[in-house]
Amino acid sequence: MENNIVLTASHISKYFQQPDPFQVLKDISFEVHTGEFLCLTGKSGSGKSTLLYVLSTMDTDYRGELSLKGEKLTGRSINQLAAFRNEHIGFVFQFHYLLPEFSVLDNIMLPALKLKKKSRPEIEDKAYQHLQLLGMEDQALKPASRLSGGQQQRVAIARALINDPSIIMGDEPTGNLDSKNTSIVFDIFKQLSADNGQTIITVTHDEDFARRSDRVIELNDGQLL
Amino acid sequence: MASVNYKIAFVHLTFKIKQTMIAMLGVVFGISMYVFMNSFMSGINDLQVTLAFSNTAHIRIYNDIPPDHTNLIQTVVKGNPVIRVHNGRVIKYTEGIKSPAPIIKWLTGQDEVTGIEPQVNSNVFFRNGGNKVNGKLSGIDVENENKFFKIADFMVSGRWNDLKFQPEGIIMGSILAKSLSINIGNNVNLLTNDGVSKNYKLIGTFQTGETAIDNSKAYVNINSSRQLLGKNQDYVTDIQVNIKNYRQTWPIIGRLAPVIPYKVESWETANEGMLSASKLRDIIAMAVSLTILMVAGFGIFNIMNMTINEKVREIAILKAIGFSGGDVTVIFLFQALVIGFIGGILGLLFGYVVCLLIGLIPFKIEAENHLPFAYHFADFYMAFCFGLLITLFAGYLPARKAARIDPVTIIRG
Ligand SMILES: Nc1ncnc2c1ncn2[C@@H]1O[C@H](COP(=O)(O)OP(=O)(O)O)[C@@H](O)[C@H]1O
Ligand SMILES: [Mg+2]
Repeated sequence: MENNIVLTASHISKYFQQPDPFQVLKDISFEVHTGEFLCLTGKSGSGKSTLLYVLSTMDTDYRGELSLKGEKLTGRSINQLAAFRNEHIGFVFQFHYLLPEFSVLDNIMLPALKLKKKSRPEIEDKAYQHLQLLGMEDQALKPASRLSGGQQQRVAIARALINDPSIIMGDEPTGNLDSKNTSIVFDIFKQLSADNGQTIITVTHDEDFARRSDRVIELNDGQLL
Repeated sequence: MASVNYKIAFVHLTFKIKQTMIAMLGVVFGISMYVFMNSFMSGINDLQVTLAFSNTAHIRIYNDIPPDHTNLIQTVVKGNPVIRVHNGRVIKYTEGIKSPAPIIKWLTGQDEVTGIEPQVNSNVFFRNGGNKVNGKLSGIDVENENKFFKIADFMVSGRWNDLKFQPEGIIMGSILAKSLSINIGNNVNLLTNDGVSKNYKLIGTFQTGETAIDNSKAYVNINSSRQLLGKNQDYVTDIQVNIKNYRQTWPIIGRLAPVIPYKVESWETANEGMLSASKLRDIIAMAVSLTILMVAGFGIFNIMNMTINEKVREIAILKAIGFSGGDVTVIFLFQALVIGFIGGILGLLFGYVVCLLIGLIPFKIEAENHLPFAYHFADFYMAFCFGLLITLFAGYLPARKAARIDPVTIIRG
């Protein structure tokens, strides 16, 4: 298990041309093991989000090479990457980003309905299981816009988990949550990595949160410390 | 299992039902306008065709004026000789159709032919004392002529069938009778081109609504007109032919024209002016309704654009969780399609109802009492297709824009 590498970033560099040309990411190389709970920390503006978007395959405008699950993803088409994300990567954003017109249940089911690997009842079953795990099964049919911030974040996590992705990425997923909700999210992440062997890569400002994870890597001015 | 894209599109459509309705209303209006304009124009065109057939048959066979003989020598002498002919004259020109019997027999044998009406037509002067009016005398078979042109329906005094038994009787257009100041039972004198004159008794008048006919035309028995012109029992000037489908005159004309020395003319040739007016009307109807549809399309374009601007975040999320650009295009294009489809069907219905309602308004033209409408499948079909096409096009551009949204820039905030 130790040698099982799920993510390899080698010599990742990224430039922004606007407003002034400058290098956000400077030759970043590291590896992540399967089942690892990894925290990405650093000062505000150090490039954490930018790096995470590169790792997540959403941002393709970088130099260097990225491999996930042994597949080299650098250079693939946008649609191929979308399909890869759908199946293998779960996302949790800082601002919950649910689809407000859909019910909680529909929000969670969407990535699985897109993947089409399971039948609708199976997907629904699974969505309910996740909601239960997060203590939200009674909210399933509510419109997503009616939930509190902490609840929305838990729904976003359930959505990230629906396709059993190998990697779950978060950009300050607890940034807007109180300490109670923060520890709920932490416990879920911990459980996912320890029990299911799913890899967690999350940006955080919360030092306590970072300390309790498996490994912390710190960015400073676009470089790994 | 319906694709998730359609489910998302459906949620979008129903979530802001008001916006959807407004976009749809544009399509409904555009398409109903199209249906209305085209059905109205078709109604007018059809009415004109009907009117045209009230005095022309589908095909007319007659002896045309002789061909151009001003330069006969050049057809025989080759090369470029200097030729001068002064006051060339046509020495012999036969009027009318010399031997109609074989032509009529041939026509009778044709499947498409539904009616044959030989006529003896001539230009005459109608005289009553000092009044002298130039006009057209038609010698006809009383029953057969009515089968062709339904003149009995246009009679304002007297009875059409009375003509059958009155060799000296004449039936005239109402304006013609008036300008001659004669009433039923009065005599009228006819003078032919050859100077023969003869008295007839007015036994009826008709009014078709077409002034050019009502003020110049008169009918007598075919035999009495032969008598007047001093021709034999066989003589005819025109053979009018009706066929099953009046839009298909050319097969018969193509077979007949080359083998007889007479002119075989389709009603379309005879009414060229009317047909080109019809075509112009069709073009105007098309232009106006397409413009309206285009405006409706612009409305959809705007609303779709607005929707997409409101939904950039959601589109970014969809992409982040694995929806491709194609999926996003489908989601929004499908919305346009639904708007176009439902709006189209409602538009057809609404357009039809509008036609029915406006068709109730009294309006006197020619023989009609209401504005004429004609409902052709092609008009409705085209309206629907154009509507769908324009909505698809109007939806496509915003959908493409949505597909190109870069999730990173949106989610980064
Ligand atoms: N779209 C952009 N264009 C130009 N500069 C950007 C853009 N996005 C972020 N930056 C800059 O890149 C640096 C890193 O940003 P970011 O990755 O968001 O940092 P962090 O998440 O660590 O706070 C910051 O200096 C920020 O101002
Ligand atoms: Mg950040």
